[in-house]
Amino acid sequence: MSGAELQAILPLGILAGGIILVMLQIAFRRHLATSISLSLLTLLATAAAALEGGADMPVTPLLQADSFARLFTVLFCLAGAISTLLSTDYLGQRDDEPEEYYLLLLLSSLGACVLAYASHLASLLLGLELMSVALYALIAYPNKAPLPLEAAVKYLMLSGAASATALFGFALLYAGTGSLSFTGLGQALDANPETGVLLPVAAVMVVAGLAFKLSLVPFHLWTPDVYQGAPSPITGFLASVSKAAVLVVLLRWFSDANLFRFPALVQTTAVLAVLSMLVGNLLALLQDNIKRMLAYSSIAHMGYLMIVFAAAAAPGQRDFALEAASYYLIAYTATTLAAFALLTMLGAGEGGREHCQLQDVSGLFWRYPGPAILLLVALLSLAGIPLTAGFLAKFYLVGAASGSGQWVLLGSLVIGSAIGIYYYLRVVFYMSRRPGEYQSRPGMTRFWPVRLTAWLLVAAVLLLGVLPQPLLHYLASIL
Amino acid sequence: MNTALFYLACVIALSATGLALTRANAAHALIYLIVSLLAVAVLFFLMGAPFAAALEIVIYAGAIMVLFVFVIMMLNIGEEGVERERDWLRPRFWIVPGIMSTLLLVELLLALRDGAAFGAALTSGQAVAPKAVGLALFGPYVLAVEIASMLLLAGLVGAYHLGRRFLVRGGRH
Repeated sequence: MSGAELQAILPLGILAGGIILVMLQIAFRRHLATSISLSLLTLLATAAAALEGGADMPVTPLLQADSFARLFTVLFCLAGAISTLLSTDYLGQRDDEPEEYYLLLLLSSLGACVLAYASHLASLLLGLELMSVALYALIAYPNKAPLPLEAAVKYLMLSGAASATALFGFALLYAGTGSLSFTGLGQALDANPETGVLLPVAAVMVVAGLAFKLSLVPFHLWTPDVYQGAPSPITGFLASVSKAAVLVVLLRWFSDANLFRFPALVQTTAVLAVLSMLVGNLLALLQDNIKRMLAYSSIAHMGYLMIVFAAAAAPGQRDFALEAASYYLIAYTATTLAAFALLTMLGAGEGGREHCQLQDVSGLFWRYPGPAILLLVALLSLAGIPLTAGFLAKFYLVGAASGSGQWVLLGSLVIGSAIGIYYYLRVVFYMSRRPGEYQSRPGMTRFWPVRLTAWLLVAAVLLLGVLPQPLLHYLASIL
Repeated sequence: MNTALFYLACVIALSATGLALTRANAAHALIYLIVSLLAVAVLFFLMGAPFAAALEIVIYAGAIMVLFVFVIMMLNIGEEGVERERDWLRPRFWIVPGIMSTLLLVELLLALRDGAAFGAALTSGQAVAPKAVGLALFGPYVLAVEIASMLLLAGLVGAYHLGRRFLVRGGRH
């Protein structure tokens, strides 16, 4: 490795250095405030280093430093910092040794950033596992409640099986092409258009493994249980960053190896997209628990996002489709974090139980207007109502789908969004209930950093919806 | 004959894994799992990858599995444990794994007798020596090693915190 290469992956270096620092600090002297500040500082420094820019170059065969990777590094680090801030108050009531939590959150963010840079199947797998292994521990972290442990065991088993399936697929890909790097795979497929059974089988296994991580139907069965059991700040991180990171690496893989030219593969993504949009939205209708509802809604949103793979198959539309995907990922991350921020802020029930039933937010507008506005903005953005980030993101997807003539996908998107409005607004309806119509009255955190983070998220969601031009110009310039 | 040996090792690997999955007793399952790992190592060896075979034995069948067996054995201390262990060691439990391992040993000896020409018949690839692996790991793939070390750190910290919950509770009651 040369100095220039190290310079190009400076953000990853800072993040890894911060992890070592926090680990040593915990090992020598436990102090919660120091751990939190060091974690925040590391994440913000990483984001700043990635914002600063740098050379676009391949770094060893494993990573590719470019603006796309840096953009998502900034996003993942900011999301990590927000999750850190939201956890401060939440964890205090539920665990007696919370320092390692922040270390694990840093490690998981590092995994996500590695995925943003990955241009090789080895770094893809390592990044994915780093993110997931840290998440298993984070999901099970609160040691005073049984539900998180159950959720973590489910996630560990199923996610392990999915990783093994994907890994087997990678091995078959290597056997068929003799290459593990994204561009090398593309060239090998060009030079030697294999017609045997090896590559289709490999593709099926890889798609199944990665679709599990994105919780696309029919690989979605773990999602509601894990979302419900995991601590709310971690559910937010899991729903936003861990999915966005997998999607980012998939986008890079598809464009570097030009996998868009295989109709069977693109059609598979389209089928997954339609199934996820319809099944996710329909099942969300049946939920009384907000976290489970958001889990199904995240399945539907990943379905919306999968449209871009079919849209990008038309060569003239590719840049626009990638731009749509990037904007959607940023908007979705901010919105999802905002929705789970409110669930984090609701006070704990008996034995650290979370308040996340629909009943628990009844009358929220009258009791806590500020936090209620936060949830309102997040839900409107998830539903895709104008003036929020979600509207513009969906608008972009509609543009990409209609531009490439994907009418079936567009139809599913419209039907799915229509169903979505019903269950998102149901929560708003509960929130506006008058006093006297509800029994459950959970408290609300008074801790100012958490409240500040919540307001920043509201501002981000609205700003992305009202003033998107700077970001859109930037996206157009790097793709 | 190479192919025959290859498929024999495959059958042993698959049946040992199947038996490991269906055993009700964890100690018996582990024995079959070890046999399965040994069979996979022999497969690697037959395909002309002696280094991968050695790693499979040293790391999986050696270090990790022995750790498992130790933990299970340590959970059975006292008179009752002695009885139970004697129960586990009856011939009908070790005779099948024994036969499987013997077959694998015979395969290995046959392969060793034929020497370096062995693997070439099964695969078109070339044997990779430990030195080449080391050069690759600390040359182009050095970042993979670093990321893997972070992955291990995540696993270690997570296991510590999750294990601690039972230690603390165990002390309290």
